[in-house]
Amino acid sequence: MNRTRILLRKIAWSIFTILFVIVLNFFLFRVLPGDPARAGVRDPRLKKEAVEMLRVRFGLDKPVINCFDSLNPIEFGSCAVNPMETQFFIYVRNLVQGELGFSYHSNRPVAELLAQRLWNTVLLIGAGQILSIIFGMIFGILAAWKARTAIDYGAVMASLIAWSLPTFWLGIILLFWGSANGFPLAGKATPGASSLPLLQQWGDIARHMFLPTLTYTIVYMGEYTLIMRSSLIDVLSEDYILTAKAKGLSMFQILKDHALKNAMLPLVTVIAINLGFTVAGAIQIEAVFSWPGLGSAIFEAVGRRDFPVLQGAFLLIAVAVILANLVADLTYTYLDPRVQTE
Amino acid sequence: MKQKVLYVIVLVALVLSACGGGGGQAAVVRIGWAGSPDTLNPGMAILVEAYTIFEQVYDSMYELNLDGSFTLSLAESVDVSDDGIVYTFKIRDGVMWHDGQPLTAEDVAFSYNLYKDTPEYPYMNGYYTPYFDSIEATENNEVILTLTEAIPNIESQLVFLYVLPKHIWENEDKLEYENFEMIGSGPFKMAEYVQNEFVRLQANKEHFYTPPKVDEVIFQTFANQDALVQAIKTGQVDMITEMPNTAAAALDEDPNIELVVGAPLAPGVTDIIFNQMDPENCPVDEGGICSGHPALRDRDVRLAMSHATDKQRLIDLVLLGLGEPGLTLIPDGLGVWYNDSIEDFEYDVAKAKEILDNGGYADTNNDGVREMPDGSLPLSFRMNWPSDSINAPRMAELLSQMWGEIGIELELQAVDPDALTAQCCPAFDFDIIIWGWASDPDPSALLYVYTTESIPTGSSETGYSNPVYDELYAKQQVTLDFDARKDIVWEMQRIVHDDVVYIIPFYDANVQAFRTDRFTGWITNEAKVALEDVTSLVVIEPVK
Repeated sequence: MNRTRILLRKIAWSIFTILFVIVLNFFLFRVLPGDPARAGVRDPRLKKEAVEMLRVRFGLDKPVINCFDSLNPIEFGSCAVNPMETQFFIYVRNLVQGELGFSYHSNRPVAELLAQRLWNTVLLIGAGQILSIIFGMIFGILAAWKARTAIDYGAVMASLIAWSLPTFWLGIILLFWGSANGFPLAGKATPGASSLPLLQQWGDIARHMFLPTLTYTIVYMGEYTLIMRSSLIDVLSEDYILTAKAKGLSMFQILKDHALKNAMLPLVTVIAINLGFTVAGAIQIEAVFSWPGLGSAIFEAVGRRDFPVLQGAFLLIAVAVILANLVADLTYTYLDPRVQTE
Repeated sequence: MKQKVLYVIVLVALVLSACGGGGGQAAVVRIGWAGSPDTLNPGMAILVEAYTIFEQVYDSMYELNLDGSFTLSLAESVDVSDDGIVYTFKIRDGVMWHDGQPLTAEDVAFSYNLYKDTPEYPYMNGYYTPYFDSIEATENNEVILTLTEAIPNIESQLVFLYVLPKHIWENEDKLEYENFEMIGSGPFKMAEYVQNEFVRLQANKEHFYTPPKVDEVIFQTFANQDALVQAIKTGQVDMITEMPNTAAAALDEDPNIELVVGAPLAPGVTDIIFNQMDPENCPVDEGGICSGHPALRDRDVRLAMSHATDKQRLIDLVLLGLGEPGLTLIPDGLGVWYNDSIEDFEYDVAKAKEILDNGGYADTNNDGVREMPDGSLPLSFRMNWPSDSINAPRMAELLSQMWGEIGIELELQAVDPDALTAQCCPAFDFDIIIWGWASDPDPSALLYVYTTESIPTGSSETGYSNPVYDELYAKQQVTLDFDARKDIVWEMQRIVHDDVVYIIPFYDANVQAFRTDRFTGWITNEAKVALEDVTSLVVIEPVK
């Protein structure tokens, strides 16, 4: 098979998966017990009529799908409902029109709310990923190159510790350390900083990003170092590396021209998987440093049964995971020509 | 060489600009809190954080003081007709909106009509405006509010009805308007708002009544309470409105930090709920399941459990001492409405056992758990609590121990709060729940949850039904004489206490802290602790 056909097949599968997610997304949250019109409000001032009005406003008074008032099997509704007026149809129709709906809780369009949160998450996770990939690769290569020396043992030990540290705990430790050294403890920017010149605004955001990014980098760097190291040691034991050595190439040349490209495959897989999932936000890091990202948005929305936000966020994550996998597949075909013929 | 010079110039410029505009330092109060407003649309808002911001940015007809009393705010005088139906408010002259337009009676009438005519606003029709008949503005800047019947608590009906600028709101969708610019008339104006990050308010030094002495107030959201404590310790914020009780002692030792402990501004109460719903009267149409344990419908069982509850121990171990023993659902923070004359059932395990023995609840099979008089069911109750509660797990463990001593067994289980709402009311699919209520300055809201009328609405958590109580509830709603109404409210609390409808374990104290090296003049000696309240924020000033 040639590259184009592989590409087309992968894309077709991705689209199919996204469609599946769209349907699943809708039903998944509606089987949760609880009533979105009452969630998050426990107050004797909230009268029955008010709850009823909220239900109408959210469209929850309409049947979920034809014949079912809800997904609770003991609450079968009448079957004579126009399918165009069911919650499911309205959801799909809105989605087709690019509408993610209106958040039940924060009285804002979901798309706007998620865009803001997504941007914050991408900023934090993006920086963390790039740093951890760079340092992870450097340390992994160093460790493999100097295998079975003090450098190797040190790198492996440090990586194992970093990888197994509970993220939350590491975050708290860095929070205490950072606050004593003047780093901000919460948020993405200092209130009022938006009136400063652009350069200072960026500096302010960078200062806010420092601690969460550091936490993220430490945790993921350990994982990448270990994978890079073991994969490279494998490759370095291959016959063709011996041949290269016999030809008198320097270690640097061997790494650069012969070993690295092959050793990258497992790392690419892990990075792709991590990237996809971390769009969901490193929830723990966001919680420790009060970072207003996607992870905390989802956490809040679950507690309030904010269906539109949940549907939108899960769709976003699903698309991100699928895209990351697609990119990983395509990178594979570039890195390993054997994939094309399979 | 040229490049180098340019580089130096840029660098110097950067350093200079970083030093700021010079001149006097603006007095900025930074407040750390754990929440963020849900919306800035006053009709749609539910969270208390939203109301805290409204309080700063908007004015209403009355101001609620920290001692629980009300004073006129936007109106300079009020005239009430003899039958108590028609209220004529004379609006102050010269009040200005933040955008420079004058605030008139027109705006007030517009706002009240907006609240009244929008049933989608969750609290309005049902609770704050049901007695509104008509609202009109007159030419001499008066608002005439006509009620459908005379009510005693007009102040508490009006206090959360924030007055909005007609010239802005009449052009907006009243449901979907996000109101980010938030033009108000209050002592602070909206400068910048990023949901879940911060709210930045600027002082309105021209305010007619209470111009602030500081220049800016920032409310910064912290998702993590440890960070909140760390932030005040390191001086990143000047005041925090909440903290884990475990941090109180450490903060108290800091010479630059002062702790304030007392009743919270928003009256709240923790309660132990017994499902007393008789399956015969189960509200099946509303989704009622009514699976409660029959023993809990017996007052003797509830009374025995009450005698076996060591409230002081709960306060010491759960709240670390930061609370007062509870008595009725009306918390002590509601001031005069709280009936402190009721004598609580004393902690007496022997007496509890005796009550159960006399009721015929004996441990017939010697497994340590008593059975129903007919021997059918053991006194083994499901106990649930919302999984996001910090205090409840510990409370549940302690109660399991305390009630275990009198032969009552508990199955402990935390439940997702929303699932618990579905399980609770009006489904009545539980035995015992540890939960709480938040409420209003007026006692009506909390008293309502005991009424028969509230059973199908989901507000009644117990299924308690008592015609005498129902009658008194209706009566207090229309009793105009303050003392007479207070007596009825006290009597109602006595009835439900005697019937042991709930056990109220304690009233949690609010703990707030502020830095003494930054601002002075915080209001700390009132009945309620609320440093973030506008009454405190307008009087504080920077330490010289």
